[in-house]
Amino acid sequence: MDQLLLVLVSGVASGAIYGLMGLGLVIIYRATDVVNFALASLATLGLYVAITFHDNGTAVIVGVLGAVAVTVVAGLAVREVVIRPLGQGQLFAALVVTMGVALIAESVISELWGTQPKAFPSIVDGTVRVGELAIPTQSLLTIAVAGVAMALVAFLFGRTTHGSAMRAVAESADTAQVIGISAQRIARMAWALGLGLAALAACLYAPKVGLVPTVLSAPLFRAFAGIFLGGLNSMYGAVVGGLVVGVLENLGASYVSASFRDTFVFSFTVLVLLIRPQGLFGTRTFQRV
Amino acid sequence: MTFLGSTTVRALLGPLAAAVVIALMSVGALPPYQAYSVALAAVYTIVVLSVGLLAGWSGIWSVGHPAFFALGAYFAAYGSGHGWSLETILLGTVVSAAALGGFVGYAGARFSTLYIALLTLAFSLVSLEVIHRWTAVTGGDQGVPVAEVPTLAGPVPGGGTEAQLLSVAAAGICLAIAVVAKGSALRMRLVAAKSHPLVAQSVGIAPEAQSALSFAVSAAFTGVGGVLLGLMTGFVSPDLFSLNLGVSLIASCVLGGVGSVLGAVVGGVYLAWSPTLAGAVGLPQPVVQGLVLIAALLFLPGGVVPFLGKLVRKRPRKTRPVALLPEPEIVRRTPEGPPLLTLNDVSVRFGGLKALEEASLSVRRGEVLAVIGPNGAGKTTLLNVLSGLSGGGKIEGAAQFDGGQLLTARATARRRFGMGRTFQHAETFDELTVVENLLCAHRRITSRRRTAVLDLLNRVGLADVADRNPADLPFGLQKRLDLARAVAEDPKLLVLDEPFGGLDADERAIAAKQIERLRDGGAAVLIIDHVLDDLFAVADRVVAFDFGKPIGEGPPGEVLQDSAVLASYLGTSTSRVRPADRPDDAPVVVRLAGIEHHYGGITALRGIDLDVHRGAVLGVVGANGAGKSTLGRVLHGSLRPSGGSREVLDVRAGLVPEGRALFKTLSLKENLEVAAYAAGLKGARLRARLDETAGWLPPRVRDRLGVQAAGLSGGEQQMLAIARALMAEPDVLIVDEPALGLAPALVDEVYTRLAELADGGMTVVLLEQLLSRALASCHEVVVLHEGVVAAKGAATDPAFTARAESAYFGGEHAVALGMTALEPR
Repeated sequence: MDQLLLVLVSGVASGAIYGLMGLGLVIIYRATDVVNFALASLATLGLYVAITFHDNGTAVIVGVLGAVAVTVVAGLAVREVVIRPLGQGQLFAALVVTMGVALIAESVISELWGTQPKAFPSIVDGTVRVGELAIPTQSLLTIAVAGVAMALVAFLFGRTTHGSAMRAVAESADTAQVIGISAQRIARMAWALGLGLAALAACLYAPKVGLVPTVLSAPLFRAFAGIFLGGLNSMYGAVVGGLVVGVLENLGASYVSASFRDTFVFSFTVLVLLIRPQGLFGTRTFQRV
Repeated sequence: MTFLGSTTVRALLGPLAAAVVIALMSVGALPPYQAYSVALAAVYTIVVLSVGLLAGWSGIWSVGHPAFFALGAYFAAYGSGHGWSLETILLGTVVSAAALGGFVGYAGARFSTLYIALLTLAFSLVSLEVIHRWTAVTGGDQGVPVAEVPTLAGPVPGGGTEAQLLSVAAAGICLAIAVVAKGSALRMRLVAAKSHPLVAQSVGIAPEAQSALSFAVSAAFTGVGGVLLGLMTGFVSPDLFSLNLGVSLIASCVLGGVGSVLGAVVGGVYLAWSPTLAGAVGLPQPVVQGLVLIAALLFLPGGVVPFLGKLVRKRPRKTRPVALLPEPEIVRRTPEGPPLLTLNDVSVRFGGLKALEEASLSVRRGEVLAVIGPNGAGKTTLLNVLSGLSGGGKIEGAAQFDGGQLLTARATARRRFGMGRTFQHAETFDELTVVENLLCAHRRITSRRRTAVLDLLNRVGLADVADRNPADLPFGLQKRLDLARAVAEDPKLLVLDEPFGGLDADERAIAAKQIERLRDGGAAVLIIDHVLDDLFAVADRVVAFDFGKPIGEGPPGEVLQDSAVLASYLGTSTSRVRPADRPDDAPVVVRLAGIEHHYGGITALRGIDLDVHRGAVLGVVGANGAGKSTLGRVLHGSLRPSGGSREVLDVRAGLVPEGRALFKTLSLKENLEVAAYAAGLKGARLRARLDETAGWLPPRVRDRLGVQAAGLSGGEQQMLAIARALMAEPDVLIVDEPALGLAPALVDEVYTRLAELADGGMTVVLLEQLLSRALASCHEVVVLHEGVVAAKGAATDPAFTARAESAYFGGEHAVALGMTALEPR
């Protein structure tokens, strides 16, 4: 029983990370129709900058802020240079271009910092005792930070005019254009926000596994599984889907097979998609003549 | 048979080239390392061919092909360790890859291109996990050797020259198969299903089956490529099948040219030599691959081979429309026999909206039935019910067609039952040639079929352009092709969606001739259109629809005398709040001069001169398709016209689009805020403006600012849409068909509100389908007919009313109604 509770807590902590990354992906996709595969490798770039700061003696939190800033700036640059020239409505081409960016970014990181694993500092250490259980403080912090970030995103989208405008563009870019909302401005905001969330998720994930150039590929794929589950255009779906994937993955690893955890997660996702192609929270779009 | 001859020759080019390469390799003309690279290029060619043709023909982009590639390679490794023959290994690979691929393709058919790409990506990653962990078979990270494999022609050692020669030979054969497949009905059906899934169903092609089949075939070929790779390298390890390969495969396809067979060779060669290329430019290989990928997508999305092909080919000839060949006159028969099609109380509901309500009608062989009605009357829904394409709508009622039940039949089966349909915008398969557009309706293309199709093209005057792509043809010819596709199998019932729309006078005459000939041949014809003149010239009987149900029926000469039918077009009301008079010398705030606009080849507006005076209410009236919305957007400034000038006197224009176009998932308040945000208002000014505008809304809307816009009734949505445009404090308000889909009482409320705005000094441009409504609520009225200003006058001038009615229908029918055309056209 205690074992199960531990697995659940670590599942929710992992799921919060996947949910944050998924949220970043969905925010960018809804505003610009781009599935940003480079999200993870740009955030990895941010992580390496953060560790470089840290090695030079700055506080962890400064490093985290640095990581977020670097990731956001790199992402905006990528959008201006290679995504914007593609034009509107190029969903697949945009995905593949971001894959190309991911290849380049990962390779550049390996060239600059090497492929040797590095330790990434935890923001907090130790464990919290709850009765008989020893829960890692980092897990609790992860859940708390992700929760606060998600609440802020919910506030931004639900309560501010910027958020309303972003939702308006997501619902109908054509109508948004007719009433004069600047699509480019919304796109920049969405990319900055999405990449910022991804960088934050990366800083929460890296202490668990250490830093290598491909550190974020596993969480990226689980974030994808999460947004498949939740629906590509639903922000709630991304968070809930990420949490479900996190819990499933930890349950699968503990009770089914540690070796085939992603196979387990994706099989589950594909089964759900066969029954409900639009995902749990997604909306279905109909084709018309 | 020059066609067959050239295909055979082209099919032989691949094997021939392979034979030459094999000969060179056997005599040792290539150094061993180069020979290895050539063989690797041959294997990659097979894989790029599989991925590229799948994308080009079926529109499925797979990032998951490394999984099938790996499947073949590990099959070879495992088989070689267990004494299997090459034939057994190949068979096992093909069967298992095809089964897996068929499943992925079938599952993927329900998703968009993007989703399939992401799903195959996941598939690829799962397969990598399996490869890494299933060490008993794959050897995990360590990899596994491929030993000698026995074949019928003697043993092939792993990593030897024989395997290299075998790879080149296999690539040659695959190229030949691809060339043959390119000319087959299979490719045409795949491309048709890809470019227009719904239209493809109307010619009997089921998209899901095509997608599963093509994915299975593609996966099987990639599997074979994997077996060859395993044999050639003599050693299989996971890093060969990384995600990198999936991405690079896409890059190779795009680089060579998607859907091009020769392009696959270019792609294969690029993939085999990309490490050498990276070494030569001194950058890490992934960086080079990424740069090539991005550059190809940005600068050469069509690919190298099609690009070069276009340079080499001559410029296309200019088409001249071909006149119809004279045909023996068929004696006109009177419609006879029992009805071919009978609809009994058919209703269609989309959520809460009833698009069709207990509609009943029947049509007999040799009869042309016209269905008319204003925008939103349910005409298109009726057509979609008949052809089985009504999407998510819930259908009730019954329909008999030729003795059977129609509504339960699948969309793809209806063509077989003897029903053909055309589409409003022609909807040709643009990636197929004209002749292929007709051939793709069949699974197999026999020479008799080909002759019949060429004969048909001859008859409709498209024979000269048989090998051109429809997109290069003028719209009139595209419509002829659409009609030819519908009649290719002599259907018993022809359903035509606006056959005259967008055509010029000569083309319309030709279309009318064709329809008459089909009718005389014994077909039943059901037409909907807005061009009443031409429609009435060919129709035997007319049924008028409004609000989703029939409201009147009769011969063409009489149906418009039915007051209900006439009212559905022109309206009846006269008791509107007329706006206060305005001074005659009000300045012009927007002036249009010589405005023209074209969408593709279709002219929407011609020679429009229009002045909008400050404080005036200007009505722009016309039937559906007359060009009102286009004119509205030109006045607004959000659409730049193809020609002419727009002068604005320092005013801000706001547009309330047709259909309201609210953000339905946003609350009322957010809809208004977003408009203010777009206009650059912030903070206190935004809140003040919001309060002011909310005050304008009727209380029942004002009190619910927090609810989602989707929860409002149609009339309330219209009010909100107007309020949203008011947020930006416009001087000119352009309102596109505010009455669309509203009950009469709500229409009155909306118009009263607009009149109040006008009285407050707002300049209003009202785009309106009903003439009487515009006459009652505007100062000045402009009648548009087929993109031209057909009449212009003061709403209060009694003489103008008759002139405007005549202009609305385009003249002739006004004469039939006993009206006099006062304005010469």
